[in-house]
Amino acid sequence: MPNSNSKVVLAPPPAEEQSGGEVKSSARKMIRVALISITLVCVWLTVRFPFQAESGLEYLLNGPNSVNPQTLHLRGEFVESNLGSTDDAGGGVTVRMIAEQYLFVPQCVVVPAGVPIRFRITSADVVHKLTISGTEDQIKAVPGYVVETRLQFPRAGVYEMPCHEFCGPGHYTMRSRLIAVPPEAFRNLSREARRDCALQ
Amino acid sequence: MLYSRGLRRIGSAVLTVAIVVMISGSALLLGSDAAEPPVRIPSNVAWTATTIAKASSGNPLRGLIIARRCDRCHGREGFSSSPAVPNLAAMDRLVVWKQLDDFRSGKRSSPVMQPIANSLSEQDTADVAAYYWMMPIAPDPMDDRAFPQPLPDPKHEAVAVRLITAGDGSRGLPPCQACHGPIGLVTGAPSLTTQNAPYLLEQIEAFASGRRANDINLRMRSIATQLTEEERQALSESYGAGLAPSAGPPAR
Ligand code: HEC
Ligand code: HEC
Ligand SMILES: [Cu+2]
Repeated sequence: MPNSNSKVVLAPPPAEEQSGGEVKSSARKMIRVALISITLVCVWLTVRFPFQAESGLEYLLNGPNSVNPQTLHLRGEFVESNLGSTDDAGGGVTVRMIAEQYLFVPQCVVVPAGVPIRFRITSADVVHKLTISGTEDQIKAVPGYVVETRLQFPRAGVYEMPCHEFCGPGHYTMRSRLIAVPPEAFRNLSREARRDCALQ
Repeated sequence: MLYSRGLRRIGSAVLTVAIVVMISGSALLLGSDAAEPPVRIPSNVAWTATTIAKASSGNPLRGLIIARRCDRCHGREGFSSSPAVPNLAAMDRLVVWKQLDDFRSGKRSSPVMQPIANSLSEQDTADVAAYYWMMPIAPDPMDDRAFPQPLPDPKHEAVAVRLITAGDGSRGLPPCQACHGPIGLVTGAPSLTTQNAPYLLEQIEAFASGRRANDINLRMRSIATQLTEEERQALSESYGAGLAPSAGPPAR
């Protein structure tokens, strides 16, 4: 009779009861912990939370600097409300721009002068090259990738940023403007005014 | 006893590793994409291969039947009866598809078009887009399709022609024809050459003020905000009068 058999196994002699129960309950605890952590890892791998650009799996597969050029406006760091100058958690300033046929957006960005700026750019279509008047800087914008550079503008002033890579019939007018202002003046600007100075 | 402690240790090690992975993973994601709320999304449409295939899969015969609901305003063959209502004849099917999707999702607001778009399924949308895409725009003296356009102010012509064909490099304004045809065509940009002038003016003003903000990656808003009042007037007049370089239906 299998029933009576299992009953015998389940009722061990009293002397061993304590330690045997402990092994069993901690094994159960361990299994529970393992299941919870596996679930959490699976959730991280597969779910794309609203604040994330990509799920954990996409992140591991693509690396941190890869983006889908067709969906920049839907999710991730290049959504339109996050373009232009933004304050980092660390106190620095990050500028994000999209290069597309035949504009750099935002068309006008404000940065503090004399401070290192983190500059992140990507392309929504073909390869563009952002150049900055009065400097040697050339930043290639490639669809599918985020190119990150550190820039510093020693003097306050207006810098023109034309495209230097033929990208189609609208190429010759493709340019954006960067205004470097003293850091105090920058701090006093509203979020909107920093994001796109062409809007006011 | 030893055995159970070992198990516990393994258990807590697994948990620690999992927590570290989670925290560092989300910190990395957060750090690289600290998008400030509220995130603004201009349009739910993205021109991925799947979307383009879906928007191009319409059946014009089904569209012909659905389009009877639109006759009242957009005309039997896509030429509207009022200058404030856009002509749809020969409009790129991707444009019709995107605009209807934007009306449906509320990304483009219009008290008239939003309920109509809501009554169309995704397939209906593709079908009606395929129908209007096939409507001819060649002038036909035997019918009254074309709405009489206001004659453009001759003073405006030079301004408009320059912006349409050359743009303005000093302001970073690309020529309209690089995106709207016939020189170049950006996906989702309609041909403007057979559109009604008052409608065009209204849309340029709407992009400039942000009332219409459904263009992907700020393309039209960046341009419209920089155009002066006179330029907006000039551009809509000459596109509306069909004086701009003719595009014809985009080949797609
Ligand atoms: C009661 C009048 C009316 C009816 C009926 C109507 N429309 Fe419209 N439609 C309009 C108006 C007005 C606009 C312009 C909206 C605006 O000002 O933003 C418009 C805009 C559009 C646009 C955007 C065009 C562009 O150039 O961006 C599309 C596409 C469209 N309608 C498709 C349709 C379809 C398809 C139907 C039938 C199923 C339909 N409409 C029925 C009045 C109407
Ligand atoms: C960089 C490319 C680009 C350039 C240059 C451009 N446009 Fe556009 N335009 C677009 C796109 C894309 C749309 C469609 C927006 C959407 O998805 O709703 C559009 C839409 C429009 C509309 C709305 C049409 C409709 O049927 O609803 C008007 C009007 C317009 N553009 C006028 C102009 C004029 C005038 C110029 C020249 C000064 C111009 N555009 C230059 C890309 C461009
Ligand atoms: Cu370019």
